[in-house]
Amino acid sequence: MLSIKNLGKVYDDGTRALRDVSFDVEDGEFLIIIGLSGSGKSTLLRCINRLVEPTEGHIIWNGTDITTADSKGLRETRRKIGMVFQHFNLVKRSSVLKNVLAGRLGYTAPALSLINKFSDRDVKRAYEVLERAGILNQAHKRADELSGGQQQRVGISRALMQDPEIILADEPVASLDPVLAHSTLSYLEKINQEQKITVLCSLHYLDLVQRYATKVIGLRDGRLVYEGSGDDIRKMTDAEFKQIYGEDAERVHAGPETH
Amino acid sequence: MNMATDKRKSHNGAAKIPHGIAGIVSLIIPGLGQLIIGEVSRGFILFSSMLSIIVMFIWRIELLAHLQHGIILKFTKALSLKPVFIISMCIGIAGLWLWTAWDAYRIKKIPGYNRLKIFILVITVFFLLGYQIGEINPYKMVTKFPETLKPLSRVLWPWKAAFTHKTDTLSAKAAILSPCGKDTPPPKTQALPDKPYIIADPTCGKLSTMDKDYHLIPGTTLTIKGGNFAPNADTEIWWVDPIGNKFRIRQNGEYIHIKTDSKGSFSMKVIMPYRLMPPSQEGKQIHHIEAIQETQRPGIVINDPLKLAVSRMVETIFMGMIATLFGILFAIPVSFLAARNLMSGSWITKVIYYLTRTIINIIRSIEPLIWALIAVVWVGLGPFAGIIALTFHSVAALTKLYSEAIESIDPGPIEAIKATGANHLQIIIHAVIPQMIPPFISFSIYRWDINVRMSTVIGLVGGGGIGFILIQYIRLLDYRAAGVAVWFIAITVAILDYVSSEIRKRII
Repeated sequence: MLSIKNLGKVYDDGTRALRDVSFDVEDGEFLIIIGLSGSGKSTLLRCINRLVEPTEGHIIWNGTDITTADSKGLRETRRKIGMVFQHFNLVKRSSVLKNVLAGRLGYTAPALSLINKFSDRDVKRAYEVLERAGILNQAHKRADELSGGQQQRVGISRALMQDPEIILADEPVASLDPVLAHSTLSYLEKINQEQKITVLCSLHYLDLVQRYATKVIGLRDGRLVYEGSGDDIRKMTDAEFKQIYGEDAERVHAGPETH
Repeated sequence: MNMATDKRKSHNGAAKIPHGIAGIVSLIIPGLGQLIIGEVSRGFILFSSMLSIIVMFIWRIELLAHLQHGIILKFTKALSLKPVFIISMCIGIAGLWLWTAWDAYRIKKIPGYNRLKIFILVITVFFLLGYQIGEINPYKMVTKFPETLKPLSRVLWPWKAAFTHKTDTLSAKAAILSPCGKDTPPPKTQALPDKPYIIADPTCGKLSTMDKDYHLIPGTTLTIKGGNFAPNADTEIWWVDPIGNKFRIRQNGEYIHIKTDSKGSFSMKVIMPYRLMPPSQEGKQIHHIEAIQETQRPGIVINDPLKLAVSRMVETIFMGMIATLFGILFAIPVSFLAARNLMSGSWITKVIYYLTRTIINIIRSIEPLIWALIAVVWVGLGPFAGIIALTFHSVAALTKLYSEAIESIDPGPIEAIKATGANHLQIIIHAVIPQMIPPFISFSIYRWDINVRMSTVIGLVGGGGIGFILIQYIRLLDYRAAGVAVWFIAITVAILDYVSSEIRKRII
């Protein structure tokens, strides 16, 4: 179980990105974070694996406090938390396979990675993960030759290589068209359900949230303004919606479902 | 009229001055009229254009008639030398002057006045000046063109200088005493059964001499009979004096030669040539007459210009490669100091950043040819000087390119690799270096390409390589040999261009 307690973040330039955010995530949850751009979604996700250092509060995961971990402990924590990004963050000129193998770096002896070498077991696993993602035939292509949807699957595969217990997905479908958005999210859902990996995902489109979430939290100006189950969000009224997104917000749809 | 009045009102203050006065003021000082009615920048531009046109016009007149004194004399002299230019400039300046006044008068009066026309006129006058300053002469270009055909054709098709046929030489000599009398003449040569021979008759005689008016007084006429030469082939007649100087004999300004008959024999008359013997030459004066036949045989000889061009081209390519290597080695560490994203930490690093950038920009702005001039003084003529020059420029250019590659590195993959639990070293190896290698390789190959091209010209100032022989051949007016070098440069550059662009295409 992951508990966020009174989390706060003030950036060096004085921006308050998060204020006193507290919530719990049960194992196996598909938690979706909603909120406007700049509401603190990315900061929140990055605080969990400390790509951004929180300035206040604690993050307790399975009884240990991530926020106080030393660098070795932090790396061990990070390797159990996969991360998926809006712009995929692949090394564009490296092959798909290399990008996926990078997910094993937390487990690889530094001496081995110095010569850019991974164990045969890791390589075999990488092929399996790519096969499950349906992009095995692209393994030796350069990452930037793939389409956006395929690139995001490479990103997810890289996260899966970490044997993660949690996957943090920072707007994973914001760079994709609606059809690919659905297939990518349903792939994440499949991972969530079959491998019991907790997913924390920030999203923009409310109908995607309603379709996939088992739990939803809403952020506005760095504050937690909404917390509800998947069922709650499906019954969400316009008033609640506007509470999160502001008075001027209108609902938009992310297009048809593919299944 | 109404609209014009409206427009005038909108320009408050300045609009109070009537158009007429603006026009007259501009007639006295061009542009001033525009200035006082509020068209400040237009006024300044027109004034400075007029001023610079007139100053340059006076300068050209001064150049054309620098020997004359007094304004009128200078002007008439210049007019007689370049009538078209002087007259058209006078018309242009006068027209421009009047138009400026007209412009000041009309600009506020006419709504929707075409403001561009006058600047087109200004530019036209400037180009007229430029035409004269550039000493452009299309007439000369056309009429003198045939003179370039000979060197041009030699440069374009220089292979006569590169290859020649293998030849066989047949020759035979006969001895001749000069003058007759004091000593016994050499015996007549005999006809040989299997070797080429010539027989001179008589075997002594008088050389041609000069009278005091430098008119040639012909010497004795010899009858030369030859045999056993190659049939139906051209035969040259040479003279060898007692000191051993060998030269072809001319008669009536032409080298003498004869074609052998079908049996390989010939017979001809030769006047003994003019030869001034040094006083130190004493004793019996035995000259020789020699018949030489050169016949082609299968096989090709590679001549010096080709051999030299090949060896110098190899030298050039290696110069480029070594300069690129040194450039890369120095540029990699320096480029980190010149990368803004790495050096924006504290004010000390910022100072280093600006310092590095400034030095690099200065070095880069000096052409390799100028560096080569300095390097030649430093280490002497030869490829090493060229390498130094190219290295200097390469370091500066590559540093700029590399540091820009470092600046444009994508932080996304670094974040992603960090999130997998990788340590710093792993982040550098798996996220930073993969992003840097392709641009580094690409820029380095591009630079190698530039350096080889540059090293072909760096020889012109003594930096070694093929340019070195190219400039020598050009100065010797040996256009064929120069052409061989030019061909090699062109071929190498073309191949390199292709190879480097192919490699870069694959990397990026």
